[in-house]
Amino acid sequence: MNRRFAIKQVLIFAGGMALLPSCFREGGKVSIQLKNLDISAAQESQLAEIAELIIPKTDTSGAKDLNLHLYVLKMLDDCFGPERHQQFMGGLKNFEGLDSKSLAQLVTDANTAKAGLSEETIEFFKFMKWKTIDGYLNSKYVMSNLVIWELVPGRYNGFFRVKSA
Amino acid sequence: MSNLNIDSIKEHTYDAIVIGSGISGGWAAKEFTEKGLKTLVLERGKDVKHIIDYPTTNKYPYEFEHRGEPTFAIREANPVVSKCYAFREDAMDFFVKDQEHPYVQEKPFDWIRGYQVGGKSLLWARQTQRWSDLDFEGPLRDDFAVDWPIRYKDLDSWYTYVEQFAGISGNKDGLASLPDGDFLPAFPLNAVEDYFRNTMRDKYIGRHVISARCAHLSQPKQIHFDQGRAKCQNRTLCQRGCPFGGYFSSNSSTLPWAEKTGNLTLRPFSVVESIIYDEKLGKASGVRVIDTNTKEVREYFAKVIFVNAAAINTNLILLNSTSSRFPNGLGNDSGSLGKYVAFHNYSARIGAEYDGLKEFTTDGRNPAGGGYIPRFRNLLKQETNFKRGYAAGFSAYRNTERDTSGLGTALKAQLLSKNLGPWQVGSHMMGETIPKESNYVKLHADKKDAWGVPLLKISVDYDDNDAKMKKDYLEQLTEMFTEAGFKNIQVNDGGQAPGLDIHEMGGARMGHDPKTSVLNKWNQLHDCKNVFVTDGACMTSTSTQNPSLTYMALTARAVDYAVLSMKKGDL
Ligand SMILES: Cc1cc2nc3c(=O)[nH]c(=O)nc-3n(C[C@H](O)[C@H](O)[C@H](O)COP(=O)(O)OP(=O)(O)OC[C@H]3O[C@@H](n4cnc5c(N)ncnc54)[C@H](O)[C@@H]3O)c2cc1C
Ligand code: SF4
Repeated sequence: MNRRFAIKQVLIFAGGMALLPSCFREGGKVSIQLKNLDISAAQESQLAEIAELIIPKTDTSGAKDLNLHLYVLKMLDDCFGPERHQQFMGGLKNFEGLDSKSLAQLVTDANTAKAGLSEETIEFFKFMKWKTIDGYLNSKYVMSNLVIWELVPGRYNGFFRVKSA
Repeated sequence: MSNLNIDSIKEHTYDAIVIGSGISGGWAAKEFTEKGLKTLVLERGKDVKHIIDYPTTNKYPYEFEHRGEPTFAIREANPVVSKCYAFREDAMDFFVKDQEHPYVQEKPFDWIRGYQVGGKSLLWARQTQRWSDLDFEGPLRDDFAVDWPIRYKDLDSWYTYVEQFAGISGNKDGLASLPDGDFLPAFPLNAVEDYFRNTMRDKYIGRHVISARCAHLSQPKQIHFDQGRAKCQNRTLCQRGCPFGGYFSSNSSTLPWAEKTGNLTLRPFSVVESIIYDEKLGKASGVRVIDTNTKEVREYFAKVIFVNAAAINTNLILLNSTSSRFPNGLGNDSGSLGKYVAFHNYSARIGAEYDGLKEFTTDGRNPAGGGYIPRFRNLLKQETNFKRGYAAGFSAYRNTERDTSGLGTALKAQLLSKNLGPWQVGSHMMGETIPKESNYVKLHADKKDAWGVPLLKISVDYDDNDAKMKKDYLEQLTEMFTEAGFKNIQVNDGGQAPGLDIHEMGGARMGHDPKTSVLNKWNQLHDCKNVFVTDGACMTSTSTQNPSLTYMALTARAVDYAVLSMKKGDL
């Protein structure tokens, strides 16, 4: 009971989704429990940087505030198969160990699928971007503050006037 | 059996037994209990109590572990049910998982099931149209299957009866192919759906676009409040179970009503293995049930038995009910039991964009889903190279335009933009398929399920008629979309296997002649009069309309007949 309580206290929220932290945070391991992927703490923080380059903090929260990179990892780990896992890990290698300037450059290049980049790099980035956006738009933060999702609309108007065309 | 020593037969005896608590079983339960019969409803799955057992009903999208998406492991383990559009995190527990209840696909057949109190009535898309004589006269006119032993006039008042209680929204459209019902106000078409309706009316004779008719309380009446239900709040999260009782399900409507009479006994976790035939009495005396928790075998007895296990399972139960009188399955003197299974062809869709009417969008949600195009092919006479025809869904919607090509602050601004894109329009076909002897279900010779019941083999496929019909649908809808000025038309002939339409029918069809059919015009086994089948197994042909409203009407009618017969001492 106590242990469960303890875990509850350290739930990590990725865009509003509760994630269990890894029980034994061995030196150098990712901070959430993953079943299939082996992600190091260094990789994790690089993913956080990439996500922030995709959706930065402005006057509203960005990817790091919402832990969107953890959302990406969670979805990748649970909802995709070994092939996608390999592709992701393979592509991620090319983003590791870069300083912030080179990382920003690679992200920009990968985003436009610049000629010369490896297939894996581009596929990794596509996935990373897709799920970061997905996590953002489906986050509690965005759904309750920015693009509001209603549980109960209680109405339907099929001829709703668009304010200014 | 073993239990009979302990529990007296009397304790296990009811006036009526209903097998299955889904859409049709719920109606049988309501009708019997209201007429004062002590009724036992046997349900193989768990209990699902209205509101209490809808665990996801008030969740926000971000409260689902994977934002609604089934995990890779779940999809791998459940390749069949994963194909169903509604098999998502919010309603996954109301679907049967492939491995828990295997069956043998002699040909690919995506059998989608809901095993719990309420059956698939929790999950259905609630589209409800009456059938007309153009459907009931179909087999006779177009020479297939056997003649239906009933006509529209036999069901008209029963449709009204069930519509009033269930609550069906729709317009009186005055169409011969789709008789009007006793409706609550329809959910209106939106700007582009309405535009398409008007365009079709002007450019074609006999092609209509109407508001989809659906089992939602758009404006509840006293009878609905009496059931404890309230106005539909347009949440469109219905498959989770609706806390308002806004849509019709057995759980929100018929079963609680039956319970209030004090005549209902509902037993979840009870798989009916077979129906017991009493050679001396010359009729069925009860059912044999396996408790899914204890695997204990029990027998229950009644004067009349309604089989409402959903079409294919009803076939299984009847086929598995053998005796020296019925070595090939209960009521199977004709040898047609399990055959002439048919379904709806949902395998094609078409989408496009519309540049006009940009001054409008929609606000809120439409639980009816949009518009409905009733069948227009071969309606009054045979005029194409295929038999019968198709109905179609039609809907239009506008999304916010989200350009995701950029990065950083530019991307962020795009994601939060409220600019609307063009209208998107879409349609899917709902084709009638022809019942054939070669489309059948059978018991497996030796493979059994966890309760010792033989597994089912399913051998059901499309044919050439379906292919021609699909081609015609795509051609005609392309033409209609073009006429309406829709752009960027995309057709998709999907290639999905039969079954995914979830409108499987037949196997114990109704007919005049006991030599070629299993049930008579009262849904009664020709050869065992106190057993009735009023779910999809009874259907002689499939029409293009959704089937469940017709199961409800047939059920209420058959119970009425059964009770009258019992009073007369005929059963
Ligand atoms: C996603 C989805 C969308 C749909 N959309 C529509 C629609 O828009 N319009 C429409 O008309 N129809 C629709 N349907 C189909 C509709 O749900 C079915 O036609 C309807 O539920 C059939 O009613 P039923 O009583 O025959 O079977 P069910 O509602 O499936 O109930 C059968 C019950 O019998 C139980 N059972 C089975 N075998 C046994 C046994 N041996 N012993 C005891 N109990 C048993 C099952 O567990 C189940 O609870 C849809 C279905 C789904 C899943
Ligand atoms: S749309 Fe209506 S019936 Fe469906 S969940 Fe909402 S309130 Fe309930």
